[in-house]
Amino acid sequence: MELTTSQFVIGYYTFLLGVSCFGAYTNKRQVFMLAFSLTLVSFVLGIVGGAAALKAIAICAGMLAIAGMISFGFREFLIQIAEGDFGAGIRNSGSSSVVTLILVAACIVSGVMGWGFTEILIAITILFVVITSLNPETAKELRTAPLTAAFGMFVIFTYAVAGIFAPWIAPFGEAEVISSAFAPPDENMLLGADQLGRDMFSRIVYGSRNSVGLAITATVAAFILGAGAGLLAATKGGWFDQFMGRFADVIMSIPSLIFALLMLSIFGPTTPVIICAVAIIYAPRVFRLTRAVAGNVVVMDYIEAAKLRGEGMWYLIRREILPNSTAPLVAEFGLEFCFVFLLVAGLSFLGLGIQPPTADWGSMVRENATLISFGDITPLIPAAAIALLTVAVNFVVDWMLFRSSGLKEQ
Amino acid sequence: MGDIAGLVGKRLGLGLIILLVISVIIFFMVELLPGDIAQAVLGQGATEENLAALRKEMGLDQPAIVRYLGWLKDAVVFDFGSSVVTQEPVTSIIGERFAKTLFLAAYAAVIAVPVSIVLGVLVALMRNSIFDRVANVLTLTSISSPEFFLGYILILYFAVKWGMFPAIASLSEGMSFVELLNRAFLPALTLVLVVVAHMMRMTRASIINLLASPYIEMARLKGAPPLKVIVRHALPNAWAPIINVVALNLAYLITGVVLVEVVFVYPGIGQALVDAVSKRDFPVVQACCLIFAATFILLNLAADVGAILTNPRLRHPK
Repeated sequence: MELTTSQFVIGYYTFLLGVSCFGAYTNKRQVFMLAFSLTLVSFVLGIVGGAAALKAIAICAGMLAIAGMISFGFREFLIQIAEGDFGAGIRNSGSSSVVTLILVAACIVSGVMGWGFTEILIAITILFVVITSLNPETAKELRTAPLTAAFGMFVIFTYAVAGIFAPWIAPFGEAEVISSAFAPPDENMLLGADQLGRDMFSRIVYGSRNSVGLAITATVAAFILGAGAGLLAATKGGWFDQFMGRFADVIMSIPSLIFALLMLSIFGPTTPVIICAVAIIYAPRVFRLTRAVAGNVVVMDYIEAAKLRGEGMWYLIRREILPNSTAPLVAEFGLEFCFVFLLVAGLSFLGLGIQPPTADWGSMVRENATLISFGDITPLIPAAAIALLTVAVNFVVDWMLFRSSGLKEQ
Repeated sequence: MGDIAGLVGKRLGLGLIILLVISVIIFFMVELLPGDIAQAVLGQGATEENLAALRKEMGLDQPAIVRYLGWLKDAVVFDFGSSVVTQEPVTSIIGERFAKTLFLAAYAAVIAVPVSIVLGVLVALMRNSIFDRVANVLTLTSISSPEFFLGYILILYFAVKWGMFPAIASLSEGMSFVELLNRAFLPALTLVLVVVAHMMRMTRASIINLLASPYIEMARLKGAPPLKVIVRHALPNAWAPIINVVALNLAYLITGVVLVEVVFVYPGIGQALVDAVSKRDFPVVQACCLIFAATFILLNLAADVGAILTNPRLRHPK
């Protein structure tokens, strides 16, 4: 059934007014304010932009509603799994950290040796870690999670699936030329072809593996460097602490993109150089936070007790300091990942990231930018993918920070 | 007043030392180059004589420390040597571009600073309402988007679909000021979007932080109207964090400008830096990096000094 324009407009206003009356009647102040202010805005926009503007609003609201429903569903799903407590057996036997280490090692070995099943191993590892960390305790916390955080988790889940199983999801290879340059979408190609006639959709799927993978590797490198130095500085103190602090000050006073450009111009834009450059640029930030968090833990009495027991520094860091500073460090990891991801995307947009023909979101935007002047939005999809993942991670981090800080604004 | 001058002088000295260390890093990083600059410029196929001639011309036969001191002495008076690709003096390449970049950054700042402070205060007043949440999600989205994403969206709508502003910011001599503003509008707007989001969030956080303090509670309890609580009681103490926020974001503007300039083909120093990096034109790269770092440090310094001037408590460190 096709809606005529007048039917749509009448239905639109009826719906909004109905919702605002319902809100006012049941004393739901927020619902009323939202619905009625939307009605007033729609009056203005409807007069200026006609029915098309109203349709745009309706589509936006519909998309928001769908996103909300998916987030709600995903949160309930996670809560159900957490309450089922499938990981209890493994956790209670105390072997979960050993199994995780073995799985990670297997992933790395398999990746280096090029056996064909690295993807499946990585998926199993992630699944294992998630299942063991979901318990009735987390179920309670998940219940209080805002929908934005659930949405963030859902998006991260989707990206993980796309990245890990890219070769199965993508219909074509990432460097496979299958049609003419800038061919429009047809039944074979969902989003059309890029500047060399490669399938855009396949490249976006592969990009989730390459771009996100590079950003995660670089963040992990920055974390190992920064958190290691921070923990050492906090436990050792003295001149080492002073020196590292000043050194971090200097590095942080060079703008990150500029420093990255300087290093890439000297050593050339190869993947190891990008990872090292990002690690050097972002390690000082991690160092600062770790130093501050660990500095608060170091002055505790139980550290003093452990020192008096004669425990070594490595034991202090591993068994006393680290477990007591995980929550802020995990949140910091998310935040740093966002910064690193945006920096790497910026670099690859400038042509200094992962080199072609490997699919990479930043460079895909640049290569297809000419299409934008014809009013085509396809080149913006990789950029939107970058933005969506960063937003999602930020949502989750916001929630985690709120939870770990325990402070409620008045 | 003597103690203020002393504090500010100390900060200035610290900034100068950091700048010196950065100049060392920037200069000696190029020394880490496999081979040397002459090899990198001429490529693998260069003959021994050509290499020797270029080395002589660039003074590479002298020890690094001598060259560094010479480079630093010239850099202080803005003489960065000449480009290895075009042989032009670096100052003539980047001098005019730097002015254009400053124009773009100032343009963005003039729009962004008042808007974000007003919006930040408003959102802080309406905290936890539905508008606050919408603003939170919107600003977060804007911060999380790469600059080129925002830039291309603006091009798509304002330039291609609605044809209101030019997509390519080509500036030329003899343009009227209004024309300049029109040409640079989209790049400036992109920067504004990013910076407003940052500034709004930081202003909101610092105002909310302030509103939780006991003397605000007192003012409220004695029956002062909300606007008066903000203007008379909260704002005088909020200046320090707000100045800090503004200076930090202006520093951010300076680097964000690189990507925006590339998107809009704006003839600024960021574009020059990116070109020089891909051509491996090291004197230009070094000069641009030094200028960016110096601006960055200067603005951070301004934030510190502003905080000291507006907050008397900082003048008496414990």
